[in-house]
Amino acid sequence: MAFRRKPLRFWVGRLLRNLLAWVAIAFALFPAAFVLGTSFDPVQNLRTARIIPTQPTLENYRYLFLERQEINFPRWLLNTVYVAGITAATGVFLCALGAYAFSRFRFRGRRTGLLTILLVQMFPQTVGMVAIYLILQTLGKQIPWLGLNTHPGLILVYLGGAIGFNTWFMKGYFDTIPRSLEESALVDGASPFQAFWRIVLPVARPILAVVFVIQFISVYSEYLLASLILKGMDKYTLAVGLQLFIGEAYNRRWGSFAAAAVIGAALILLIFYALQSQIISGLTGGAVKE
Amino acid sequence: MRLPRISATSTTLLKVVGFSLLDAVALYFLVLLAWEKSWLFVGLIAAGLLGLNVLAFSRRLYPLRYLAPGLFFLVLMVVLPLVYTVYISFTNYATGNILSKSQVIEVLTRRYYLPPNAPTFTFRAYGGEGGLYALFLFGPAGQYVLFPDGRLSRAEDHALQDADNDGIPEAIDGYSLLSLAEVARLSGELQKLEVPFGEGVLRLTTLSTMRVYSPQYAYDPVRDVLTDLRTGKEYRPQGGNFVAADGEKLDPGWVTFVGFANYLRFLRDPLYHGAFVRVFTWTVVWAVLTVVLSFALGLGLAILLNDKTLRFRKLYRSLLIVPYAIPAFISILIWRGFFNTEVGLFNRVLTQAFGIRVPWLTTPFWARFSCILTNVWLTYPYMMLVSLGALQAIPEEMYEAAKVDGATGWRRFVHITFPLLLISVAPLLIGSFAFTFNNFTLIWLLTRGEPVVEIGSRAGATDILLSYAYKLAFMGGRGSEYNMTAALAVIIFVIVALISGISFARTKALEEVSRGL
Repeated sequence: MAFRRKPLRFWVGRLLRNLLAWVAIAFALFPAAFVLGTSFDPVQNLRTARIIPTQPTLENYRYLFLERQEINFPRWLLNTVYVAGITAATGVFLCALGAYAFSRFRFRGRRTGLLTILLVQMFPQTVGMVAIYLILQTLGKQIPWLGLNTHPGLILVYLGGAIGFNTWFMKGYFDTIPRSLEESALVDGASPFQAFWRIVLPVARPILAVVFVIQFISVYSEYLLASLILKGMDKYTLAVGLQLFIGEAYNRRWGSFAAAAVIGAALILLIFYALQSQIISGLTGGAVKE
Repeated sequence: MRLPRISATSTTLLKVVGFSLLDAVALYFLVLLAWEKSWLFVGLIAAGLLGLNVLAFSRRLYPLRYLAPGLFFLVLMVVLPLVYTVYISFTNYATGNILSKSQVIEVLTRRYYLPPNAPTFTFRAYGGEGGLYALFLFGPAGQYVLFPDGRLSRAEDHALQDADNDGIPEAIDGYSLLSLAEVARLSGELQKLEVPFGEGVLRLTTLSTMRVYSPQYAYDPVRDVLTDLRTGKEYRPQGGNFVAADGEKLDPGWVTFVGFANYLRFLRDPLYHGAFVRVFTWTVVWAVLTVVLSFALGLGLAILLNDKTLRFRKLYRSLLIVPYAIPAFISILIWRGFFNTEVGLFNRVLTQAFGIRVPWLTTPFWARFSCILTNVWLTYPYMMLVSLGALQAIPEEMYEAAKVDGATGWRRFVHITFPLLLISVAPLLIGSFAFTFNNFTLIWLLTRGEPVVEIGSRAGATDILLSYAYKLAFMGGRGSEYNMTAALAVIIFVIVALISGISFARTKALEEVSRGL
């Protein structure tokens, strides 16, 4: 019999390794598992909420979509998706334009431009929060819909932060697309923009998707700037609203919070696992981005 | 790619026509704005228009057409804030010093006081269906009719109806006398009245009297001195405020340059110095411990998963990166619940099992411990993924040579795997350090920088530089200290630049980057 030949050490080692892996997995999963379980428990106190509810109900989820006073969950979710979606879509387009120019044209100041963008991008935008706050305040006095407590204002801020790194990232990808693809089109009389729009963009679809998703996720999770800029209950994003909703109320709002956390996380988890390999290579390859 | 040839005539024509229309419309608005003297907007729109036209028609600037849209946002929301932050850090811009000097002079010279001998008017109010019509003012200084819009006219010019001849008309211009109760209802409106009268202004003092207030300050632009007319005291501009010889300071002040004063306060002013040192130390400790611990855990798991004989490796990997896939703000709020002393999950388990309770978020040590634990949980999947990638990139031959030499597993790891891994992972570790250094979200959502360690100081035990900066600007017990926040931000900028500099120097990434251009 074959397994007899393997020494005992082999089997113990194998067992240990699997055991270790499962301990780590337990550590990784227990918060999510606990929240998922208690989200079906109508008990609102974290002290008594049970991971396997004695009487599981969908009460917490129902509450989320009917309540409008203390938690306006559907609104916050919609706001978040709206802000993140617009930022990511516009950001992808702006970055693709810039990356195309850096990748295909040769012009004076190109190298300097690339290095400057890299340099500027190193400074986290959140550190300039006071200046951003004051700029939006000033802007809002002239153009009210772009000021503080507005979604377009917040999108404006996020767009600024999204440009640099992703332009670089996309330029790297564009460099790998053979130029011969566009050159034949150019010979046929297409303008560079047409070549960009009709040929390069379709070929670059995978990278566009990755940049879109990475930007979407990072805006979805952004807290500092959103909490600074958005001040109205109906304007909050999920990060701001959920934080204010739970506050210190773990003993009387846990159930509803858990349900909100499950829905809020599920959306991102779905996207993440659907595009797992592309997102991971994007996130771990370049720089560290939330 | 060469720059494009001039495009086909029909498109060119279309472009020319389109831009002519755009320019015509914009010019129309420019004239309107100039008429209203909104010069800032005239300037901005004119510059924008000129830029657009140059971009559209200059062939040399053709690539800029692709770059301009992105650059616009980058400059507006990254570069401008950077420059603005540096500027603010060298000023005294904070609550009490927000205005310009001329605005401050305007505010101060429009402050009034009541001299003892100020003329007094008694008044009665008159009105009809439409509310208040006017006030009738009388006293030693004369008789006047005062309208709610602030117009003051002499009593002789109006039709006064005073049948009983007691000096108080029953009606003015056909409007009848209002009762005291009706006047009381109008008091909100009346309190707003500020009518220039002689040197001073006429203001409400009671519901039946108004008095003439005198300006408290006079400004002499030649000597640049503000004089208190009541006391004769002189105030001179000094450090953004008008200050008297005895040190008395007038508020509000104005924005002015203060050089390195804000930075020096972090070094010398006891109010900031202790907090700064404490916060800075913790920020470094926190970032180092997070990176080291999560890297150790991530690397360990990566080695485990890299074992080709392990079954279900793909499944394990997918499950282990769950903390990375959940939005951080949700996880942090969950962990905050778990740490809760009264109702939290951890103390529930600990009480049941051992009968103990740990003050997770309420004592400095445990709050710091909780921050690091949570962040290690959030960060190790990233470290694991990075390490896995690096492990797989190490060529097999390296190990074979070692095997021949009879090196054991541990020695192989110390002498081959780890050094090779570190080379490729180091820049990412440094990046992670920089990110953790400024991880406001985690600190803020988990502890808000608390617990308090020193009465009167705004920096708590777990505050990092960025959250301390946030508190200085937006959570003011002492108002908004934008200047101090900006100075702190510049310090963070410098630290980040240093970290990035080290990273670049170490990995020669810049060279690679340059080659990639």
